[in-house]
Amino acid sequence: MNENPLNDGLRLEPTPGPTTFVIFGASGDLTKRKLLPAIYRLSKRGRLPAQFAVIGISRSEIDDDAFRTQFRESLAEFAGPDSWDDVAKSLASRMYYVSAETDDPEVYRQLKARLEQINGAEGVLFYLAIPPSVYGVVIEHLGTSGLSRPGERGWRRVIVEKPFGTDLASARALNQLAHQHFDEEQVYRIDHYLGKETVQNLLVFRFGNGMFEPVWNRRYIDHVQITAAETVGVEHRASYYEGAGALRDMVQNHLMQVLSLVAMEPPIAFTAESVRDRKMDALLAVQPLVEDKQNGGRPVLSNVVRAQYRAGWVNGSEVPGYLSEKGVSKQSKTETYVAGRVQLDNWRWAGVPFYLRTGKRLPKRTTEISIQFRRPPLEIFRRASQTSVAPDLLIVNVQPDEGISLRFEAKLPGTRMQIAPVMMNFRYGTTFGGEVPEAYETLLLDAMLGDTTLFARHDFVEASWALITPVIERWSGLGDDVPTYEAGEWGPPEADELVGRDGRRWRTL
Amino acid sequence: MENVVTTATAIEAREVPFSEIATAMVDVCPRAGAMRALVATVVAVGPPDRLDLATDTLQILGDAGTVRSIVISEGDEAAPSARVAGNTVALKGLKPQYVNNAVAALRLSSLPTLVWWRGGRPETLDELADLADRIVLDEDEPETSWRRAVKLFEATAFSDLRWARLTQWRALMAHFFDIPEVRSAATQFSRLRIRGGDHVSAELFAAWLTSSISFGAGFHVEIERGDEGAPIQSIHLLDQDQELMLRTGAGRTCIETAVSVRGHRSVSRIVALADRTPVDALTEELMIRARDLAFERTIQALVAD
Repeated sequence: MNENPLNDGLRLEPTPGPTTFVIFGASGDLTKRKLLPAIYRLSKRGRLPAQFAVIGISRSEIDDDAFRTQFRESLAEFAGPDSWDDVAKSLASRMYYVSAETDDPEVYRQLKARLEQINGAEGVLFYLAIPPSVYGVVIEHLGTSGLSRPGERGWRRVIVEKPFGTDLASARALNQLAHQHFDEEQVYRIDHYLGKETVQNLLVFRFGNGMFEPVWNRRYIDHVQITAAETVGVEHRASYYEGAGALRDMVQNHLMQVLSLVAMEPPIAFTAESVRDRKMDALLAVQPLVEDKQNGGRPVLSNVVRAQYRAGWVNGSEVPGYLSEKGVSKQSKTETYVAGRVQLDNWRWAGVPFYLRTGKRLPKRTTEISIQFRRPPLEIFRRASQTSVAPDLLIVNVQPDEGISLRFEAKLPGTRMQIAPVMMNFRYGTTFGGEVPEAYETLLLDAMLGDTTLFARHDFVEASWALITPVIERWSGLGDDVPTYEAGEWGPPEADELVGRDGRRWRTL
Repeated sequence: MENVVTTATAIEAREVPFSEIATAMVDVCPRAGAMRALVATVVAVGPPDRLDLATDTLQILGDAGTVRSIVISEGDEAAPSARVAGNTVALKGLKPQYVNNAVAALRLSSLPTLVWWRGGRPETLDELADLADRIVLDEDEPETSWRRAVKLFEATAFSDLRWARLTQWRALMAHFFDIPEVRSAATQFSRLRIRGGDHVSAELFAAWLTSSISFGAGFHVEIERGDEGAPIQSIHLLDQDQELMLRTGAGRTCIETAVSVRGHRSVSRIVALADRTPVDALTEELMIRARDLAFERTIQALVAD
């Protein structure tokens, strides 16, 4: 009996085979906030295999019991006050800890022995929840110790957190290193945006319906706006963020992924490679962000705006400016806001700008894709109605309220011809009932099941860095001050000018 | 069925003739004018004394705003009045031969219709099979309807509320068989022992398992009477020295699972026992848009015995 005969039932969702989940960076913030709560929720929903264990690895000198206590604290803070239940206790009993420096070869020998002991060498999922600077060290040791090689019955996969590299050269080097020790299909470059229901639903919306794809092109769409706004500041991540900034932290990965899903051609099938091939095509069609023409000997950077937040007022309280945040250099030029105008050179999108913006300390937390359609070719109601006709909008809400809205024009009731926009809303949280899984739940489960569809492929990561790196280099060569915006406002005036040059405005959020 | 669309609901109910139901639904629901994402019509059908639970359940689903809920009790009225509250409509005492006509008139267009069958005139089930996208059976003594359903499998998708409540038990048993050593040991198991308060649920589970796996000759199923409050309390698949075990934990909020087979270390765990109220079970049914072939195979095995 090679296959499980009991999985032959449509309501039994696929569950991975025996798995051990190995977390490098087990005492880190990501593990506490996201990974452990996601594992707990998967367990609670019965989506983990009967044989499942967690091994945490980090420098902290703690033992199995202390790691289990950390798990308990993590659940209390991030999974709800009642989460320390029998499910959590049962899961905790299968959690183990290895205290070690990740560059010590002995650690990998210990890990191998522990895996044999608790797992029997079946599926192993490594998660690199560690600083990007040590990704290479861990990947190399996993390779040289033999831990990256699948066993007779078991698979080996590694999830790598963003940022995957800090520029094109480092991303290429990391990919090369990864490919020395893992096959590409073993490497899962995670972008949690892709685990969100709405982002996945974008594929269904576009390619599962017959009515949207015919208008999804330059003939009917005026422009696209992609916004990822945060109300939080740099928080406790200053040491990372100072070296990253909004361009690396958000645009290179999240926004480029979303952009490619909006812009991609239809895949021939819903398979990982087919979807990822079409996303890659879309990214390759993006025009360079740094223009060839020179201005005083320098390439022109008229399509990208950066800025840094000043002190202001967000979420009902006063907040400090970026330069006053703990851990931030007083002379920092790190951008906390980026807006960009992206053009794609292909038949579908030629002449349709994609405006991207992301920032910290903006007035509200929201991520959305807004597709603005062209106005009707003839405004026949101009004389009859005092109000002008607003263009139709399709809004894909990625967070916090996942769903899709369509704004269109309707006649106001009455004897006069008055026109007003109305919004039709579809919300994931309420429409189907049941819980919407967190992005990390979806992605961890996919990785255990071996489904790479929602993970970034090596060539996508490199193509994205190829777009971003010239901007980073251009900015690093500038001595200018970074423009600023007041915390609690929607970015700097330069961002409005970027869109305004085309006779357009940012959507009111 | 006195509580059908009572004033307890947040939306005021109104009694109207059948012909005015559509107008009343717009008038009495303050949200009716707003755009909503509707997903389905859910119709509960049955004798009056079996519809109280269905009414409460459908009001909850209807109040969520994404389904239209219709409750139809069978009786001898050809022109019953209807009570309408928002997305919920209740018809009291309708002649059984007109139930399908009422459903045809009241269901949402172009969206799936799910019928929750709480019993009634058997021919009505046949008539509804032509209209509904899914029929969920829910009777104390379901065998007659199961036999009828087998003949209707090609007409529409069928399920049973007991079956929906078994999903988690089936999933947990299936997880055992993801372990290669368990699959290797499958033909060696000689006994299935199920304890629970609902004999029919136990039979369903046993039929599913034995119709999915070819156990050896002499395989034996034992069903023990358990507490009324728990349809299933424990399931053991056994051999002399091998065992797969599922059982409810203390307080019946969780299920303990354990596997012990030759050549594999024993493992155990605890998972949450999911809520299985009628609302949860129907919500699960609303998520399924295709024929449930495992259910069909199970029912065919049961009625063939």
